[in-house]
Amino acid sequence: MIRKTIKIVNKLGMHARPATMIVKAATKYRSEFRIVKSDMEINGKSIMGVMTLAAEFGSELELVADGVDEKFLIQEIVEMFLNKFGEE
Amino acid sequence: MKKISVKEFYELEKKDLSLSLITHPNTMQGNITTSFLNRPGLALTGYFDRFEYNRIQIFGETEISYLQSLKEEVLYNNIKETLVYDIPAIIITKGLSVPKQIEFLANEMMIPIFSSRLSTDKLFNSIRIYLQGIFAESKTIHGTLIDVFGVGILLTGKSGIGKSECALELVERGQRLITDDVVKITSKDDILVGGATNNYGHFMEVRGIGLIDVAKMFGIQAVRMKKRIDVQIELMPWKDNMDYERIGLSNHSVDILGNKIPIIYLPISPGKNIAVIIEVVAMNHISKLFGYDAAKEYTNKLQEELTRKAKLREKQIEEKK
Repeated sequence: MIRKTIKIVNKLGMHARPATMIVKAATKYRSEFRIVKSDMEINGKSIMGVMTLAAEFGSELELVADGVDEKFLIQEIVEMFLNKFGEE
Repeated sequence: MKKISVKEFYELEKKDLSLSLITHPNTMQGNITTSFLNRPGLALTGYFDRFEYNRIQIFGETEISYLQSLKEEVLYNNIKETLVYDIPAIIITKGLSVPKQIEFLANEMMIPIFSSRLSTDKLFNSIRIYLQGIFAESKTIHGTLIDVFGVGILLTGKSGIGKSECALELVERGQRLITDDVVKITSKDDILVGGATNNYGHFMEVRGIGLIDVAKMFGIQAVRMKKRIDVQIELMPWKDNMDYERIGLSNHSVDILGNKIPIIYLPISPGKNIAVIIEVVAMNHISKLFGYDAAKEYTNKLQEELTRKAKLREKQIEEKK
Protein backbone atom coordinates (compact mmCIF):
# COMPACT_ATOMS: atom_id res chain seq x y z
CA MET A 1 0.00 0.00 0.00
CA ILE A 2 1.26 3.45 -0.90
CA ARG A 3 0.13 6.71 0.68
CA LYS A 4 1.01 10.00 -0.84
CA THR A 5 -0.02 13.47 0.27
CA ILE A 6 -0.51 16.05 -2.45
CA LYS A 7 -1.61 19.64 -2.70
CA ILE A 8 -3.95 20.98 -5.36
CA VAL A 9 -1.98 23.52 -7.35
CA ASN A 10 -4.35 24.37 -10.18
CA LYS A 11 -6.40 27.51 -9.55
CA LEU A 12 -9.78 26.06 -10.45
CA GLY A 13 -9.44 23.17 -8.02
CA MET A 14 -10.74 19.69 -8.72
CA HIS A 15 -13.71 20.44 -10.93
CA ALA A 16 -15.42 18.10 -13.36
CA ARG A 17 -12.68 17.83 -15.96
CA PRO A 18 -9.77 16.97 -13.62
CA ALA A 19 -12.05 14.61 -11.72
CA THR A 20 -12.83 12.77 -14.94
CA MET A 21 -9.13 12.61 -15.80
CA ILE A 22 -8.27 11.07 -12.46
CA VAL A 23 -11.06 8.52 -12.56
CA LYS A 24 -10.29 7.51 -16.13
CA ALA A 25 -6.60 7.11 -15.34
CA ALA A 26 -7.23 5.17 -12.14
CA THR A 27 -9.71 2.73 -13.69
CA LYS A 28 -6.96 1.48 -16.00
CA TYR A 29 -5.17 -0.07 -13.01
CA ARG A 30 -6.09 -3.12 -11.01
CA SER A 31 -5.09 -1.66 -7.67
CA GLU A 32 -7.63 -0.19 -5.34
CA PHE A 33 -7.53 3.55 -5.19
CA ARG A 34 -8.89 5.84 -2.50
CA ILE A 35 -8.63 9.55 -1.93
CA VAL A 36 -8.79 11.03 1.56
CA LYS A 37 -9.59 14.62 2.37
CA SER A 38 -9.77 15.45 6.10
CA ASP A 39 -12.58 13.21 7.35
CA MET A 40 -13.79 12.13 3.91
CA GLU A 41 -12.59 9.01 2.20
CA ILE A 42 -13.87 8.07 -1.25
CA ASN A 43 -13.22 5.56 -4.01
CA GLY A 44 -10.91 7.21 -6.55
CA LYS A 45 -12.43 5.24 -9.39
CA SER A 46 -15.89 6.74 -8.86
CA ILE A 47 -16.59 10.03 -10.55
CA MET A 48 -19.28 11.10 -8.10
CA GLY A 49 -16.95 10.24 -5.24
CA VAL A 50 -14.10 12.36 -6.55
CA MET A 51 -16.37 15.31 -7.25
CA THR A 52 -17.97 15.02 -3.81
CA LEU A 53 -14.60 15.90 -2.26
CA ALA A 54 -14.96 19.41 -3.71
CA ALA A 55 -11.21 19.83 -3.31
CA GLU A 56 -10.38 23.50 -3.86
CA PHE A 57 -7.12 25.22 -4.83
CA GLY A 58 -4.58 24.88 -2.04
CA SER A 59 -6.27 22.00 -0.23
CA GLU A 60 -4.44 18.78 0.59
CA LEU A 61 -5.40 15.27 -0.39
CA GLU A 62 -4.03 11.89 0.51
CA LEU A 63 -3.86 9.37 -2.29
CA VAL A 64 -3.98 5.74 -1.20
CA ALA A 65 -3.31 2.92 -3.66
CA ASP A 66 -3.25 -0.75 -2.83
CA GLY A 67 -2.53 -3.56 -5.28
CA VAL A 68 -0.09 -5.04 -7.75
CA ASP A 69 0.34 -1.90 -9.85
CA GLU A 70 -0.06 0.65 -7.04
CA LYS A 71 3.28 2.31 -7.84
CA PHE A 72 2.36 3.10 -11.43
CA LEU A 73 -1.11 4.27 -10.49
CA ILE A 74 0.20 6.77 -7.92
CA GLN A 75 2.90 7.89 -10.32
CA GLU A 76 0.42 8.71 -13.07
CA ILE A 77 -2.04 10.45 -10.77
CA VAL A 78 0.65 12.52 -9.05
CA GLU A 79 1.97 13.63 -12.39
CA MET A 80 -1.51 14.87 -13.34
CA PHE A 81 -1.68 16.95 -10.17
CA LEU A 82 1.78 18.42 -10.77
CA ASN A 83 0.88 19.25 -14.39
CA LYS A 84 -2.14 21.14 -13.04
CA PHE A 85 -4.29 18.83 -15.19
CA GLY A 86 -3.07 20.66 -18.25
CA GLU A 87 -4.63 23.93 -17.08
CA GLU A 88 -3.13 27.44 -16.84
CA MET B 1 -29.77 11.42 -59.96
CA LYS B 2 -33.32 10.73 -58.88
CA LYS B 3 -36.13 11.54 -61.26
CA ILE B 4 -39.80 10.96 -61.86
CA SER B 5 -41.45 11.02 -65.25
CA VAL B 6 -44.03 13.70 -65.89
CA LYS B 7 -46.54 11.00 -66.83
CA GLU B 8 -46.08 9.26 -63.50
CA PHE B 9 -46.32 12.55 -61.65
CA TYR B 10 -49.59 13.34 -63.43
CA GLU B 11 -51.11 9.91 -62.80
CA LEU B 12 -50.23 9.97 -59.11
CA GLU B 13 -51.04 13.56 -58.32
CA LYS B 14 -53.87 14.59 -60.63
CA LYS B 15 -56.43 14.03 -57.88
CA ASP B 16 -54.59 15.76 -55.05
CA LEU B 17 -53.51 18.71 -57.17
CA SER B 18 -56.74 18.65 -59.22
CA LEU B 19 -54.76 18.66 -62.45
CA SER B 20 -56.03 18.28 -65.98
CA LEU B 21 -53.94 18.05 -69.10
CA ILE B 22 -54.55 20.81 -71.64
CA THR B 23 -52.04 19.78 -74.29
CA HIS B 24 -51.87 16.52 -76.21
CA PRO B 25 -51.07 13.40 -74.08
CA ASN B 26 -47.94 12.83 -76.21
CA THR B 27 -46.40 15.96 -74.76
CA MET B 28 -45.80 14.18 -71.46
CA GLN B 29 -42.36 12.88 -72.31
CA GLY B 30 -39.91 14.54 -69.96
CA ASN B 31 -38.75 13.87 -66.44
CA ILE B 32 -38.86 15.96 -63.30
CA THR B 33 -35.37 16.04 -61.81
CA THR B 34 -35.68 18.52 -58.96
CA SER B 35 -38.07 19.28 -56.14
CA PHE B 36 -37.84 23.01 -56.81
CA LEU B 37 -40.47 24.97 -58.68
CA ASN B 38 -40.15 28.11 -60.72
CA ARG B 39 -42.36 31.04 -61.60
CA PRO B 40 -41.09 32.15 -64.97
CA GLY B 41 -42.05 35.85 -64.54
CA LEU B 42 -38.94 37.49 -66.00
CA ALA B 43 -38.36 34.77 -68.60
CA LEU B 44 -41.69 35.70 -70.19
CA THR B 45 -40.38 39.24 -70.67
CA GLY B 46 -37.37 37.90 -72.52
CA TYR B 47 -34.82 37.82 -69.72
CA PHE B 48 -33.31 34.31 -69.69
CA ASP B 49 -30.19 34.68 -67.52
CA ARG B 50 -30.59 32.27 -64.61
CA PHE B 51 -33.83 30.89 -66.02
CA GLU B 52 -34.42 27.66 -64.08
CA TYR B 53 -35.99 25.86 -67.01
CA ASN B 54 -35.46 22.35 -65.59
CA ARG B 55 -38.02 22.98 -62.87
CA ILE B 56 -41.79 22.73 -63.19
CA GLN B 57 -42.97 26.18 -64.29
CA ILE B 58 -45.93 27.62 -62.44
CA PHE B 59 -48.06 30.20 -64.25
CA GLY B 60 -50.15 32.15 -61.76
CA GLU B 61 -52.42 35.10 -62.20
CA THR B 62 -49.43 37.44 -62.57
CA GLU B 63 -47.99 35.52 -65.51
CA ILE B 64 -51.30 35.02 -67.25
CA SER B 65 -52.43 38.62 -66.91
CA TYR B 66 -49.03 39.82 -68.13
CA LEU B 67 -49.24 37.56 -71.18
CA GLN B 68 -52.78 38.74 -71.91
CA SER B 69 -51.56 42.33 -71.89
CA LEU B 70 -49.07 41.63 -74.68
CA LYS B 71 -49.65 42.20 -78.39
CA GLU B 72 -50.16 39.01 -80.31
CA GLU B 73 -46.80 38.85 -82.11
CA VAL B 74 -44.89 39.78 -78.96
CA LEU B 75 -46.74 37.14 -77.02
CA TYR B 76 -46.02 34.55 -79.70
CA ASN B 77 -42.30 35.40 -79.79
CA ASN B 78 -41.81 35.53 -76.04
CA ILE B 79 -43.57 32.22 -75.50
CA LYS B 80 -41.63 30.62 -78.32
CA GLU B 81 -38.34 31.74 -76.83
CA THR B 82 -39.37 30.39 -73.42
CA LEU B 83 -40.58 27.04 -74.70
CA VAL B 84 -37.35 26.44 -76.60
CA TYR B 85 -35.91 25.43 -73.23
CA ASP B 86 -36.33 21.83 -72.11
CA ILE B 87 -39.12 22.51 -69.61
CA PRO B 88 -40.55 19.38 -67.92
CA ALA B 89 -44.05 20.78 -67.47
CA ILE B 90 -46.07 23.95 -67.05
CA ILE B 91 -48.89 24.24 -64.56
CA ILE B 92 -51.47 26.99 -64.75
CA THR B 93 -53.10 27.71 -61.39
CA LYS B 94 -56.65 28.67 -60.37
CA GLY B 95 -58.00 27.10 -63.55
CA LEU B 96 -57.10 30.25 -65.49
CA SER B 97 -57.63 30.15 -69.21
CA VAL B 98 -54.54 29.92 -71.38
CA PRO B 99 -54.00 32.08 -74.49
CA LYS B 100 -54.51 29.87 -77.56
CA GLN B 101 -51.01 30.59 -78.92
CA ILE B 102 -49.41 29.11 -75.84
CA GLU B 103 -51.38 25.90 -76.14
CA PHE B 104 -50.50 25.68 -79.83
CA LEU B 105 -46.77 26.27 -79.25
CA ALA B 106 -46.63 23.85 -76.34
CA ASN B 107 -48.16 21.12 -78.50
CA GLU B 108 -45.67 21.89 -81.24
CA MET B 109 -42.71 21.87 -78.93
CA MET B 110 -43.87 18.89 -76.87
CA ILE B 111 -44.14 20.62 -73.52
CA PRO B 112 -47.12 19.53 -71.41
CA ILE B 113 -49.38 22.15 -69.87
CA PHE B 114 -51.58 21.25 -66.92
CA SER B 115 -54.31 23.30 -65.42
CA SER B 116 -54.91 23.14 -61.69
CA ARG B 117 -57.88 24.45 -59.79
CA LEU B 118 -55.75 25.16 -56.73
CA SER B 119 -54.46 28.62 -55.89
CA THR B 120 -50.80 29.29 -56.65
CA ASP B 121 -49.85 29.26 -52.99
CA LYS B 122 -51.62 26.01 -52.24
CA LEU B 123 -50.27 24.35 -55.36
CA PHE B 124 -46.72 25.43 -54.50
CA ASN B 125 -46.97 23.87 -51.06
CA SER B 126 -48.61 20.65 -52.19
CA ILE B 127 -46.17 20.02 -55.02
CA ARG B 128 -43.18 20.87 -52.85
CA ILE B 129 -44.24 18.42 -50.16
CA TYR B 130 -44.86 15.72 -52.75
CA LEU B 131 -41.61 16.29 -54.66
CA GLN B 132 -39.52 16.61 -51.51
CA GLY B 133 -40.76 13.18 -50.52
CA ILE B 134 -39.60 11.83 -53.87
CA PHE B 135 -36.27 13.61 -53.96
CA ALA B 136 -35.45 13.26 -50.27
CA GLU B 137 -32.16 11.57 -49.57
CA SER B 138 -32.52 8.24 -47.88
CA LYS B 139 -30.53 5.25 -46.79
CA THR B 140 -31.11 2.05 -44.90
CA ILE B 141 -29.07 1.06 -41.91
CA HIS B 142 -28.85 -1.93 -39.64
CA GLY B 143 -30.58 -1.06 -36.40
CA THR B 144 -33.82 -0.83 -34.47
CA LEU B 145 -36.02 2.23 -34.15
CA ILE B 146 -38.18 2.74 -31.07
CA ASP B 147 -40.29 5.59 -29.81
CA VAL B 148 -39.44 6.05 -26.14
CA PHE B 149 -41.61 8.68 -24.42
CA GLY B 150 -41.88 10.41 -27.80
CA VAL B 151 -38.13 10.43 -28.39
CA GLY B 152 -37.07 8.52 -31.51
CA ILE B 153 -34.22 6.25 -30.46
CA LEU B 154 -32.14 4.52 -33.10
CA LEU B 155 -30.47 1.48 -31.57
CA THR B 156 -27.38 0.28 -33.36
CA GLY B 157 -24.61 -2.17 -32.64
CA LYS B 158 -23.19 -5.45 -33.90
CA SER B 159 -25.67 -8.14 -34.71
CA GLY B 160 -26.36 -10.41 -31.79
CA ILE B 161 -25.65 -7.73 -29.22
CA GLY B 162 -29.30 -7.65 -28.23
CA LYS B 163 -30.99 -4.79 -30.05
CA SER B 164 -34.16 -6.75 -30.70
CA GLU B 165 -34.34 -8.13 -27.17
CA CYS B 166 -33.85 -4.63 -25.84
CA ALA B 167 -36.62 -3.28 -28.09
CA LEU B 168 -38.85 -6.10 -26.89
CA GLU B 169 -38.34 -5.14 -23.29
CA LEU B 170 -39.03 -1.49 -24.10
CA VAL B 171 -42.24 -2.50 -25.86
CA GLU B 172 -43.21 -4.51 -22.84
CA ARG B 173 -42.66 -1.40 -20.74
CA GLY B 174 -45.12 0.51 -22.93
CA GLN B 175 -42.82 2.01 -25.55
CA ARG B 176 -43.49 1.71 -29.26
CA LEU B 177 -41.61 -0.14 -31.97
CA ILE B 178 -41.22 1.40 -35.42
CA THR B 179 -39.03 -1.19 -37.07
CA ASP B 180 -36.49 -3.84 -36.19
CA ASP B 181 -33.28 -4.82 -37.95
CA VAL B 182 -33.49 -2.56 -41.03
CA VAL B 183 -34.38 1.11 -40.71
CA LYS B 184 -35.02 3.25 -43.74
CA ILE B 185 -33.95 6.78 -42.92
CA THR B 186 -35.13 9.74 -44.97
CA SER B 187 -33.87 13.27 -44.60
CA LYS B 188 -36.65 15.80 -45.06
CA ASP B 189 -36.37 19.48 -44.17
CA ASP B 190 -33.39 18.80 -41.88
CA ILE B 191 -35.31 16.14 -40.02
CA LEU B 192 -34.46 12.46 -40.06
CA VAL B 193 -37.46 10.20 -40.32
CA GLY B 194 -37.17 6.46 -39.91
CA GLY B 195 -39.52 3.72 -40.93
CA ALA B 196 -39.65 0.19 -42.24
CA THR B 197 -38.49 -0.70 -45.73
CA ASN B 198 -41.62 -2.76 -46.41
CA ASN B 199 -45.21 -2.74 -45.23
CA TYR B 200 -45.39 -6.32 -43.98
CA GLY B 201 -46.01 -5.16 -40.44
CA HIS B 202 -43.99 -5.12 -37.27
CA PHE B 203 -42.17 -8.40 -37.31
CA MET B 204 -39.09 -9.11 -35.29
CA GLU B 205 -36.62 -11.91 -35.01
CA VAL B 206 -35.83 -13.08 -31.51
CA ARG B 207 -32.87 -15.42 -31.32
CA GLY B 208 -33.98 -18.86 -30.26
CA ILE B 209 -37.67 -18.23 -30.98
CA GLY B 210 -37.81 -16.99 -34.53
CA LEU B 211 -40.15 -14.40 -35.96
CA ILE B 212 -42.83 -12.76 -33.86
CA ASP B 213 -45.46 -10.18 -34.74
CA VAL B 214 -45.16 -7.36 -32.24
CA ALA B 215 -48.45 -5.66 -33.16
CA LYS B 216 -50.42 -8.92 -32.78
CA MET B 217 -48.69 -9.86 -29.56
CA PHE B 218 -48.59 -6.55 -27.71
CA GLY B 219 -51.42 -4.72 -29.43
CA ILE B 220 -51.61 -1.85 -31.81
CA GLN B 221 -50.47 0.65 -29.17
CA ALA B 222 -47.05 -1.02 -29.18
CA VAL B 223 -46.19 0.01 -32.72
CA ARG B 224 -46.05 2.98 -35.03
CA MET B 225 -45.21 3.50 -38.69
CA LYS B 226 -42.75 6.38 -38.72
CA LYS B 227 -40.84 8.45 -36.24
CA ARG B 228 -38.40 11.30 -36.26
CA ILE B 229 -34.98 10.06 -35.13
CA ASP B 230 -33.68 12.13 -32.20
CA VAL B 231 -30.88 10.12 -30.64
CA GLN B 232 -28.69 7.22 -31.71
CA ILE B 233 -27.58 4.72 -29.11
CA GLU B 234 -24.75 2.42 -30.05
CA LEU B 235 -24.70 -0.71 -27.92
CA MET B 236 -21.24 -2.13 -27.39
CA PRO B 237 -19.78 -4.93 -25.33
CA TRP B 238 -18.27 -3.72 -22.08
CA LYS B 239 -14.49 -3.34 -22.21
CA ASP B 240 -12.48 -2.53 -19.11
CA ASN B 241 -10.30 0.12 -20.66
CA MET B 242 -12.89 1.82 -22.84
CA ASP B 243 -13.25 5.56 -22.50
CA TYR B 244 -16.93 5.80 -21.56
CA GLU B 245 -18.68 9.08 -20.89
CA ARG B 246 -18.73 9.68 -17.16
CA ILE B 247 -20.26 13.07 -16.55
CA GLY B 248 -22.15 13.91 -19.74
CA LEU B 249 -20.60 17.30 -20.47
CA SER B 250 -19.10 16.33 -23.79
CA ASN B 251 -21.83 15.63 -26.30
CA HIS B 252 -20.94 13.38 -29.19
CA SER B 253 -22.87 13.53 -32.41
CA VAL B 254 -23.12 11.48 -35.56
CA ASP B 255 -23.81 12.59 -39.11
CA ILE B 256 -26.66 10.86 -40.90
CA LEU B 257 -27.46 12.16 -44.40
CA GLY B 258 -26.00 15.53 -43.48
CA ASN B 259 -27.98 15.89 -40.25
CA LYS B 260 -26.25 15.78 -36.90
CA ILE B 261 -27.89 13.90 -34.07
CA PRO B 262 -26.51 13.06 -30.65
CA ILE B 263 -25.00 9.61 -30.22
CA ILE B 264 -24.47 7.72 -26.99
CA TYR B 265 -22.06 4.82 -26.73
CA LEU B 266 -23.61 2.46 -24.26
CA PRO B 267 -21.52 -0.35 -22.81
CA ILE B 268 -23.57 -3.41 -22.00
CA SER B 269 -22.73 -6.27 -19.71
CA PRO B 270 -24.73 -9.12 -18.19
CA GLY B 271 -27.13 -8.00 -15.50
CA LYS B 272 -27.49 -4.47 -16.80
CA ASN B 273 -31.01 -3.41 -17.55
CA ILE B 274 -30.50 -1.67 -20.88
CA ALA B 275 -34.20 -0.90 -21.38
CA VAL B 276 -34.28 1.23 -18.25
CA ILE B 277 -31.09 3.00 -19.28
CA ILE B 278 -32.57 3.76 -22.69
CA GLU B 279 -35.65 5.23 -21.05
CA VAL B 280 -33.31 7.37 -18.98
CA VAL B 281 -31.52 8.50 -22.14
CA ALA B 282 -34.87 9.54 -23.60
CA MET B 283 -35.94 11.41 -20.45
CA ASN B 284 -32.56 13.13 -20.22
CA HIS B 285 -32.93 14.19 -23.84
CA ILE B 286 -36.37 15.70 -23.17
CA SER B 287 -34.98 17.36 -20.07
CA LYS B 288 -32.22 18.99 -22.13
CA LEU B 289 -34.79 20.17 -24.68
CA PHE B 290 -36.56 21.91 -21.81
CA GLY B 291 -33.26 23.58 -20.91
CA TYR B 292 -32.22 21.48 -17.94
CA ASP B 293 -28.87 19.72 -18.21
CA ALA B 294 -28.14 17.68 -15.10
CA ALA B 295 -24.42 17.37 -15.87
CA LYS B 296 -24.08 21.13 -16.22
CA GLU B 297 -26.17 21.76 -13.13
CA TYR B 298 -24.02 19.53 -10.96
CA THR B 299 -20.68 20.73 -12.27
CA ASN B 300 -21.70 24.38 -11.93
CA LYS B 301 -22.58 23.78 -8.30
CA LEU B 302 -19.23 22.09 -7.77
CA GLN B 303 -17.38 24.95 -9.43
CA GLU B 304 -19.16 27.49 -7.20
CA GLU B 305 -18.20 25.57 -4.11
CA LEU B 306 -14.58 25.29 -5.23
CA THR B 307 -14.34 29.04 -5.83
CA ARG B 308 -15.98 29.86 -2.50
CA LYS B 309 -13.70 27.54 -0.56
CA ALA B 310 -10.56 28.75 -2.34
CA LYS B 311 -11.41 32.35 -1.40
CA LEU B 312 -12.06 31.37 2.18
CA ARG B 313 -8.70 29.62 2.37
CA GLU B 314 -6.92 32.66 0.97
CA LYS B 315 -8.57 34.86 3.60
CA GLN B 316 -7.55 32.52 6.42
CA ILE B 317 -3.93 32.53 5.26
CA GLU B 318 -3.87 36.31 5.13
CA GLU B 319 -5.35 36.57 8.61
CA LYS B 320 -2.67 34.30 10.00
CA LYS B 321 -0.03 36.63 8.65
